[in-house]
Amino acid sequence: MSGPYGPPGHTGPYGLPGRPGPYGPYNRPNGPRGPQGPPQPPPYGPPPGTPHRPYGYGPPPLQRPPVRFSEGTHRLHWATAPLRAFVFLIIYFVLLGFPLLLTKTDDGFALALTPEVLARFLVVTVPMGLIAVGTGLWAWLAVRFRVDGDDLVVETGLLRKNKRRIPLSRVQAIDLVRPLVTRVFALAEVRVELAGGERSEIALRYLGRRSALRLRAELLARAAGLPGHTPEAPERHVWRVPFGALLGSLLVRLPVLGTVLLLFAALLFLVVYAEGGMLAVIVPVVLGLIRAVVAPLVMYANFTVAMSPDGIRLRYGLLETRMQTLPPGRVQALSIVEPTLWRSLGWARVEVTVAGYAGERQALSSTLLPVAPRHVAMHLVSQVFPGTHVDAVPLVPASSKAVAIDRADGAGTDDVVFVTRHGWPCRRTDVIAHARAQSVRLTVNPFQRLFGLATVHVDAPPGPVRVAATDRELGEARAIVESTARRALAARRAGGDPARWAR
Amino acid sequence: MYQADQAFTAGDGLAWSPISKRHAWHRLLTAVLWALPVGGVGAFFVWMNGGLIPTVMWIAAVVSGVVLIWLMAELDRRAYGYAERADDLIVTHGVLVKRLIVVPYGRMQFVDVTAGLLERWMGIATVRMHTAAAATDATIPGLPAAEASRLRDRLARKGEERSMGL
Repeated sequence: MSGPYGPPGHTGPYGLPGRPGPYGPYNRPNGPRGPQGPPQPPPYGPPPGTPHRPYGYGPPPLQRPPVRFSEGTHRLHWATAPLRAFVFLIIYFVLLGFPLLLTKTDDGFALALTPEVLARFLVVTVPMGLIAVGTGLWAWLAVRFRVDGDDLVVETGLLRKNKRRIPLSRVQAIDLVRPLVTRVFALAEVRVELAGGERSEIALRYLGRRSALRLRAELLARAAGLPGHTPEAPERHVWRVPFGALLGSLLVRLPVLGTVLLLFAALLFLVVYAEGGMLAVIVPVVLGLIRAVVAPLVMYANFTVAMSPDGIRLRYGLLETRMQTLPPGRVQALSIVEPTLWRSLGWARVEVTVAGYAGERQALSSTLLPVAPRHVAMHLVSQVFPGTHVDAVPLVPASSKAVAIDRADGAGTDDVVFVTRHGWPCRRTDVIAHARAQSVRLTVNPFQRLFGLATVHVDAPPGPVRVAATDRELGEARAIVESTARRALAARRAGGDPARWAR
Repeated sequence: MYQADQAFTAGDGLAWSPISKRHAWHRLLTAVLWALPVGGVGAFFVWMNGGLIPTVMWIAAVVSGVVLIWLMAELDRRAYGYAERADDLIVTHGVLVKRLIVVPYGRMQFVDVTAGLLERWMGIATVRMHTAAAATDATIPGLPAAEASRLRDRLARKGEERSMGL
């Protein structure tokens, strides 16, 4: 294969095939297969027989010359203007326009389209329409961006200009988000996540779908230290969550089953005794079920995980589709969550902490795998933290003096990761790579002091994962602190800078 | 392997550097500055409504509160200690909940020195180490101002030498 990945024998930009990259080898022709089993026809892939293209969003057949974001300054897609104007008008119509069409009559309000009502409506609507067009044009014209060397430069504002220069080596994740409305126009929003809190992400809304993909490929290539025109790296399909499994996994949880039982009991009461007060139970229960089952179902539908030299690619969403790319070394910590009922079925969920996602986006983007058989989850974990296997790390149980329900609690370490397991009935296994640990803490609360126990925390950036080994003997706890600090130092020295992963 | 009584030693054969005695005095002064208006206004209202004995009890409560705060501040001051080891800074503090924090120099995002009005007058300052993790609570209060800025410069230099990104 010629082209960007170089002739065989020549080290291309992504290294030799088969050579373990940052997340392990891309191609493993003869090596042990991952737990995904024999190569099945990928659910979205081209039918067998057609020349293989990298699954999903590979380069489409060339129609136009590709956009070079490093040359010249670029604007958002023109359709941003009508879209913004349209959204503005909808909000206006719901809040103000529609009430203007109503006339007050003796028995409430009525929709009577008399000439004076229409005149009143038009007098307000025409200026509002002009404002809408103005905001649309503003949103479109006010954002300009370009790729300048190793930086992404984003200029905003027309009158008061604001310029941000983002070093691409600091990028934590790149997301392509396509809300339902923008899918009609083939638009996409590009979000570049940086470490540094609530306001640190760059959101370019909206770009054309193709140029958004192009921009993502270019940003990732430059962040990896490759020339910007390198095409999107190939990817290897890892897992797709079937809809049935997702629905089943959301239902087969003790709290959800309990709530469903409560709902049935309340409905039974409502019907049999005609007790209207039961509505006070039913309404919150239904809302809770929507939040716990329907919302994740819509959000994580069609969840696909793929590995590429650029990192992990996630695609999901029913109404709003998201494509996340987590470059190598950007996952700070992760936990493998196994609720009781899932454990008997052999299922697990994987949550991650990525430094970029803060605040609201953290809750939206912290799932690496909503549900999968345990061995798939463990395979993915070993891809995220190469060179180790979490299940092989020996876990030392907590002190026998501690009050614990589940004796499976424990903590352990090898040269790559620190692992703690806790929780009953929902078991969580928290994993942090030594190279990613920010600090190590030891705390002794008054109860623990009575028994001579202590808790060791290994701190990660804010996120869903908190790694803490609870109730260790004091001396052992201090030994864990020292050994963790030493291993962290060694791992960081060996690992080097995670930026520029392809160099 | 460490013994239980060695769990809160600095390690590396180092001894804990203590913080300034003025830390506890600063806490006491802050408490007094709060207690004077609160105690005064409260005492006035209690005296108007209750009489002499409740007023005396109120004042006694406020005074014992201040004494308690001072006592805790003094114990806290004694519990505080920090040591600059070869590759990390180690801080211990806490009276009820004892803590020990190890922050590698390469993980420090930035170090800042803050001093309030009262602290400046007393010649002390607070040094705080920030990492990417919000849970890292490596704060050294009540350092003499000159020592605080020297410590900050040393930490910043070591952090620069060993910087590791995220």
